[in-house]
Amino acid sequence: MSRPKRLHPVAIIFNMAKDVKELLFPFVIALIIPGKSIGLAGYIQWMIAGVVCIFFITLAVLKWIRFTYKVEHGELKIESGIFFRKNRYIRFERIHSIDVSEGIIQRLFGLVKVSIETAGGTQAEAVLSAIRKEEAVRLNEQLLEAKRNKTVVELEFREEQSPNKMTTLVYKQTFLELFLMSATSGAVGVILSGMAAFASQFDEMIPFERVFGSSKVMLELGIYVLIGLACIGIILVYIVAIIMMMLKYADFTVEKIGDELVISRGLFEKRQLTIPLKKVQGIRIVESIIRQPLGFATVYLEYAGGSLAEKESLKVMLFPLIKKKKLQENLERFIPNYLSDLSLNHLPSRAYSRYVFRKWLYYAPVIVACIYFLSPWGYTTLLLLPIGCGWAYLQYREVGWNITGSQLTIRSRFVSKQTLLVHKNKIQSIKSSTSWIQNRKQLTTISALVKSGVTFREGEIKDVDAKDFTRIHVWFLTKKSS
Amino acid sequence: MELQQQISKKALKVWRITGTIECLITWVIAITVMILTIKFDWPYWIFLILGVLSLVQPYFWIYLFPILKWRCWRYDVRETEIEIQRGIFIMRRTLVPMARVQHVETSQGPFLRKYHLASVEISTAATVHIIPALDLQEADELRSFISKMASVVEEDV
Repeated sequence: MSRPKRLHPVAIIFNMAKDVKELLFPFVIALIIPGKSIGLAGYIQWMIAGVVCIFFITLAVLKWIRFTYKVEHGELKIESGIFFRKNRYIRFERIHSIDVSEGIIQRLFGLVKVSIETAGGTQAEAVLSAIRKEEAVRLNEQLLEAKRNKTVVELEFREEQSPNKMTTLVYKQTFLELFLMSATSGAVGVILSGMAAFASQFDEMIPFERVFGSSKVMLELGIYVLIGLACIGIILVYIVAIIMMMLKYADFTVEKIGDELVISRGLFEKRQLTIPLKKVQGIRIVESIIRQPLGFATVYLEYAGGSLAEKESLKVMLFPLIKKKKLQENLERFIPNYLSDLSLNHLPSRAYSRYVFRKWLYYAPVIVACIYFLSPWGYTTLLLLPIGCGWAYLQYREVGWNITGSQLTIRSRFVSKQTLLVHKNKIQSIKSSTSWIQNRKQLTTISALVKSGVTFREGEIKDVDAKDFTRIHVWFLTKKSS
Repeated sequence: MELQQQISKKALKVWRITGTIECLITWVIAITVMILTIKFDWPYWIFLILGVLSLVQPYFWIYLFPILKWRCWRYDVRETEIEIQRGIFIMRRTLVPMARVQHVETSQGPFLRKYHLASVEISTAATVHIIPALDLQEADELRSFISKMASVVEEDV
């Protein structure tokens, strides 16, 4: 089993189909657009078509020749690529599932298609598009054998936990919370801007004339009435937005059943999501600029799963709106070991000027352009400078980090305050990046990365003390210190 | 904690080739725009700026940047973690624990192959980290070392 193997030659057809599908459109256009050429031009056209066809066939054959796989030392090794040689090694323990399927062409030849999936990633890690059935069975057996030890351990683990399955915890959102959440959400802005865009597109179709009689009447009504009407319009939109949000998030319930979280919401359109606790990679607490002064926060779950097809499954709310004071208590009930009330290490004071500098860097071109083109009104843009200072201060004051046991807390702020809580064993990688100005000031930008949905979530803090990175670095490398 | 390992010095040659190709591409674009500026009487400074940029670009792309890039590139693969450091203007340092590594692969483009080099791509559940241009043998050894270590320190996702 250690000799490299090729796929069945039928795979050439699949290779071709794949290439042709990608290039079919330009190819057809190239043939059709020039129309029916007669004489020399026609010959050239067909010659090009022929060359392209031969090219595709050679490409497919070469791909087939170059594609080999073998099983060795508990690894599946796949070599592929014509110009870019790729050696891909997949360890058996990492393989989550093997999917065996038969298409029409495969069935004709008694073949199967094998897709191998590993944890993470949006698509199959490797696809063997045409191999003999017996071969697939053998591959599967080898895989099972390699995984057997691990599987047994996992099964025992499951059984141990099963009595817990009975215990159920429930969190329900109150009506007041639902209302407040809807009222403070950004959805209003989205709907308003949508309306504005709509209105500007169709203002000719809306019968202003008929509504107001004539433009003369409108002028007589005076500007105050117009402003009043606009205000009423906005308030109406706001109410509609609130109602829509309330319907969407009505009946928000989190249940903890055994070691799974079941999150459901919605009045007319019910949605339910089940998340195994061990897939939770971290917790993200977001305090928007409106909710923060009211003492509310939104809590998201970062979990490894979900699919691109279902956007809702990628951004999972655990608590849509929760009093900051009650957060820890509720968090503990559902997801143990996450601490939200930690005091953070803030930035050194020399970092503040960097925050201001970064804001001004973005404003400078705007200000210069406005002063140059819109003088004298352009000078009002100078107000951006103090605004930048203020905003920079808000960011500088809030951001920070903390290490407690195996938990790393990273808080950043653009407009909303975002706090990411992650455990060491879920962090995929940590990074630092240092520009030469930062280097001179002994500052650095740090970030930690966890898997979330099909991609990742990154918590980043700009301009922390360079020594802090060393501390996080050391903490990260030290094994199991909880 | 300075990192020790450097990538192959032959990477310079590969980067010079790719740099030259990039230069040629931008030159074609620049020359097209320059011809257009003459033809349509656009402001002369466009012509001037493009000309100067195209003239100095090769120095940076083919000579300076590859050298700096090579000098800045460091990595270290230890039994429990992989550390990578790179970046000319902004120094980036990445730390990946072995336990997070999902799989490793080596890959070779035509230029890397010409100089018997290969790059090592290390994938975690969420990201891919690439060490470019190692000697073929070294890359293979590194690949099997990481693969071996990653299966020793087994942890869940």
